[in-house]
Amino acid sequence: MTYPTPQDSPRHEEFVSLYVRHEAALFSFVLTMVRHTADSEDVVQRASMTMWRSFNKYTPGTNFRAWAFQIAKNEALNHLTKIKRDRHVFGEKLLEMLAERGEERADDLDARRRALDFCIENLPAEVRGIVEGCYASGSTIRSFAEQAGETANKIYKRLNRVRAGLQKCVERRLGLEEAAQ
Amino acid sequence: MIDDELQDWTDKSLNDTATEEELLALEERLLRDEQARDHYLNAVNIHASLQQRFVVVEEPASVVSFLTVARRKFGMGLTIAAGLAVLIAVSSILLNPASPPAVIAQVVGAYGETETAYAVGETVESGPLVVSRGLMRLDFSNGTRVTLEGPARVELIDEMQMVLHHGVLTATIPEAAIGFVVDTISAHVVDLGTSFGVSVGENGQTEVCVFDGEVEVSSSKTSGVSKLTQLVREGEAVRTKVDSSVIDSVSYETAQFENALPVNYGVLQTTGSMRFVSPGPDFHPGNYKDNEHIVVFPEKRGFLSNESMRVDMIDPGEYEKSHYDEKPTLVPRRAMTSYLLQLDAYPEGENPNRRRSVIGQITFANPIVGVITEDRLLNQSEVIFGIPGADYPSARTIEPRPEGDEREGFDKLILTADRHSLILELRENPGHLDQVRVLVEAD
Repeated sequence: MTYPTPQDSPRHEEFVSLYVRHEAALFSFVLTMVRHTADSEDVVQRASMTMWRSFNKYTPGTNFRAWAFQIAKNEALNHLTKIKRDRHVFGEKLLEMLAERGEERADDLDARRRALDFCIENLPAEVRGIVEGCYASGSTIRSFAEQAGETANKIYKRLNRVRAGLQKCVERRLGLEEAAQ
Repeated sequence: MIDDELQDWTDKSLNDTATEEELLALEERLLRDEQARDHYLNAVNIHASLQQRFVVVEEPASVVSFLTVARRKFGMGLTIAAGLAVLIAVSSILLNPASPPAVIAQVVGAYGETETAYAVGETVESGPLVVSRGLMRLDFSNGTRVTLEGPARVELIDEMQMVLHHGVLTATIPEAAIGFVVDTISAHVVDLGTSFGVSVGENGQTEVCVFDGEVEVSSSKTSGVSKLTQLVREGEAVRTKVDSSVIDSVSYETAQFENALPVNYGVLQTTGSMRFVSPGPDFHPGNYKDNEHIVVFPEKRGFLSNESMRVDMIDPGEYEKSHYDEKPTLVPRRAMTSYLLQLDAYPEGENPNRRRSVIGQITFANPIVGVITEDRLLNQSEVIFGIPGADYPSARTIEPRPEGDEREGFDKLILTADRHSLILELRENPGHLDQVRVLVEAD
């Protein structure tokens, strides 16, 4: 497959540098709407192609993330329209709300992901093992539970607790805990 | 509040173990609760980040494989990219849209969540808005007017759409903004050129009451494949519930909107026996029967007249009878909005000869520029300000006390010094109609 792409290499490098910088934000943004991991990855990938193809419409120096989010949002909505007959997807109203709020809070969410890195580093080895086991690609919670000799239900519960703990750690780290109450 | 229920639904959504019912419950909660939405965004954000961190990157041989190359070239893994992402900015910076969707146009003791008073002229950005008490009118950039009565919680999406989470609002929508949408947890209300009220109770029950024109109401809950949609016309009202897709017709009852609606029309307050009446074919001065109240009908809005006209009063003070030639001349400098105040006392029951006084006061957002009350002037001004097709009865008289007359039983009409209020004390006189046309500076 070939796509008409801006050929000059400075432009190429500029795009890649911008895209890579915001990829995590894009994935989080799309996952909020799409909910399914694999689908979200597909959506982000399709969106990245659209971005690259229309990168000449992006004005350097303006907000790349806002531009990229808009494209990702359209890609996500297209995807959800296609699959909504087969499984439950959030209604348009909520999707719009989530997208808008996700965009508004993009800086905040970025900061939270940075704080999360610190919190993960400080997880006890055993807990970290659970997270790794659950999130490693190719692994499902079920297979991980089997491997660990636990019921899937129990693993889910532990995972939920770990995430809740990480959430608290992030808020502590950002000093937001008090403000949030 | 982040409760166990919300946490449970969110976790199940992330783990992909939620049932359809749980997803619907999560969705309903997220729709009506902005805090829950933020919680959901935070949870997904962590989930997304964990996924990217621990996933063993297997780049597919796809057209974007240049990214893989780039990552190698730039030495960036995903987490590093994420780490580089932003300069430390703890507080969220809101992306400013080009123009704010609305401006606060009127405030009647309206306070926000933290007991801070709202002020006229403040712009309102997209996002949540709380009115803890009082009344507040928002004017949208497309001309839509929405009055919120506290306690109310809304969310402005843009100039064509808002969400009412809880409370009471009335909306008056000009032709340019037809299609304006008010969403609630249980209803989707689309304006088709109109004036209407929406209320949402604690249980998410929504009532939509159409004062003028028509709106389309659909239930937020889907029933089978198709959404139920109903056209609601003026003088009609419907109710929707969270747990049902049925749209019930209910009796037209405007009581819950009677504080908010007048504000849409530039009337800040009516006290005593003064009552604001929404416009509409059934509520014309000629056929509206109420002998308890001085009723207020909004007439022509924002009308710019080039001609000067005789009126009964221009200056503050008490109204006195005068000859036509002595009456002040109003030279309109700005557009005006007109209101008709009416007391139609008719013989009633056992005591047809009673002579009560009906007292009331009305306060307008803008200054009063002229008051008309004598029959001849009312007739003349009707041509300009009257509601087209309305039946205006005649003859109408207000009888102020003649100078030096000590007897009781006269009418009194006072224009207050600040020009914003009119005080009326009207003597019931069965079979006689008292009417006053008030001209107020338009916005």
